[in-house]
Amino acid sequence: MTTVQMNPATPITASRSPRPASFSHTLASEWSKLATLRSTYVTLSLGVLLSIATTALTALAIGATRANVPDNFDPITISMIGTIFGLIVYSVFGVLAVSREYSSGMIRLTLIATPNRSRVFFAKFALVGFIILVAGLVTTVGMFFAGQAVLGAYGMPVASLGDPDAQRMVFGLGAAMVFFPTLGLAFGVLLRSTAGAITTVLGLLWLPQIVGELAPRWSQEHILSLLPSNGVDSMTVGHMQHNPAFSDPAIGALIAATWLVTIVGAAYLQFLRRDA
Amino acid sequence: MIEVKDITKRYGETVAVDHLSFTVKPGIVTGFLGPNGAGKSTTMRMILGLDRPSSGEVTVNGHAYKTMPAPMHEVGALLDAKAAHGGHTAYQHLRWLARAGGISPRRIEDVLELVGLSDVAGKRVGGFSLGMYQRLGIAAALLADPQILLFDEPVNGLDPEGIRWIRTLLQQLAAEGRTIFLSSHLMNEMEETADHVIVIGRGRLIADASIAEFTQRSASSHVRVVTPQAENLAAVLQRAGASVTTAEGVLIVTGIDAPTIGQIAAANHFEVHELASRRASLEDAFMELTQASLEYQAGAANTTNTLKNEHSLAAMEI
Repeated sequence: MTTVQMNPATPITASRSPRPASFSHTLASEWSKLATLRSTYVTLSLGVLLSIATTALTALAIGATRANVPDNFDPITISMIGTIFGLIVYSVFGVLAVSREYSSGMIRLTLIATPNRSRVFFAKFALVGFIILVAGLVTTVGMFFAGQAVLGAYGMPVASLGDPDAQRMVFGLGAAMVFFPTLGLAFGVLLRSTAGAITTVLGLLWLPQIVGELAPRWSQEHILSLLPSNGVDSMTVGHMQHNPAFSDPAIGALIAATWLVTIVGAAYLQFLRRDA
Repeated sequence: MIEVKDITKRYGETVAVDHLSFTVKPGIVTGFLGPNGAGKSTTMRMILGLDRPSSGEVTVNGHAYKTMPAPMHEVGALLDAKAAHGGHTAYQHLRWLARAGGISPRRIEDVLELVGLSDVAGKRVGGFSLGMYQRLGIAAALLADPQILLFDEPVNGLDPEGIRWIRTLLQQLAAEGRTIFLSSHLMNEMEETADHVIVIGRGRLIADASIAEFTQRSASSHVRVVTPQAENLAAVLQRAGASVTTAEGVLIVTGIDAPTIGQIAAANHFEVHELASRRASLEDAFMELTQASLEYQAGAANTTNTLKNEHSLAAMEI
């Protein structure tokens, strides 16, 4: 075989190894995309730091202003106050993990390299889910220790991570942080627009906060309880907080799973069928 | 080999590609020509399984692209060079692609060197010029060393140096026996690089021919004959099957070639002062063929003006 060369040092022809590409290749490729971006580290660090800082400042404010401790003082719940900030940042991360590919047109290159769309879809969801699971657990464990340290410094009652209630709260809330970023990723696929998907996922995340307190009690029980955030919260913080919009943890799990399966399932079907 | 079999693509009421069939033969450079909006990019996306045809099918080496187990090793494509994440370096951009296809990282350095981006391998692509993006896109297409290459408007927006670089590279890749399918709306560019052309307009096939056949078929190809016996020769040539227009003793002959005209003239003892064949350029042939199918046609004002000027010039000479 003759090879015409432009530069003697760089033949165009390389040795052939046409092994079929597999799911692990796609996963490694998706990991490569995210792990080499500075914005990935900036975003995730921002989520962790914002959450911990919010908890620390809140604990500081409580410690500095409260002389006597009320009976229902709950150092575990107080230390989780920063969760919302991490959740916002990670949901945006979930959206961007795919919407950026649509805005740059890179999604086409992804699908030319890996035309098996199911493989691309599941690799993206598995990877984003795993990254947020780690970030979420770092966030809640960090918040817990920061909160207890500040409260302890003011001589207020503190909790230990050996406490089963604390464990359920810290690990449950950390793991549950995967929920909204996963919805964010699915909305990114469905809407292909960064702004649209962020608005949708944050709207869904905040809906109970926006209407919750104002709504009559019956609607809190029968309508707001069906929102995804209340479904998730029923599983994670329901044992510590009383809220008419919270359900039994099993019902909460069912509500959350229904939302997840519906939205991720719709995104999957769209991703398979739609022109890229 | 790429086989496009009777594909149609509709977007609502609009028909972007209309019962299009053609074959991209292996081992040659095939140009894919058509005015803007003719359906070239849509067709390329359908070949690569990105868009689904409304009807018909496309196969690459006998398989639908979507079902290929190792597509990057068989087909390399450059659709939109700017489709990259600005935060990735050139190396990182090729790294995720290489991982997707299970391609050795050593190959990344090879292709970066081949396209002349080795020195900027560690620079973020967000700061790249269009020419650098094109080089990166070509590096990506060549990563797994495929035999079939698809390039959508690779010289669009490039400076003359960049155009010459791509032309040289394409010729080099073609000389290695690769199948190259290259779209463009720049006709003279195709004349230099392609062996075969597929011309479409409004999503329909207009021509599928070698460059030589394509230009010969054009009515712009003609033979100019100067003779003092214009009217008589014209009549003889018309009887021989040519179409002839006469102006001031000059015959413009189409339908038969110069040697035949020479023979006819000699056999009938005509005095001929000038006999010159003029081959249409690819651009002329293309303009003629696609005139009817242009989606956005500018007014005919320019043509009319040119004609008027010619008339007034002729009048002045008299």
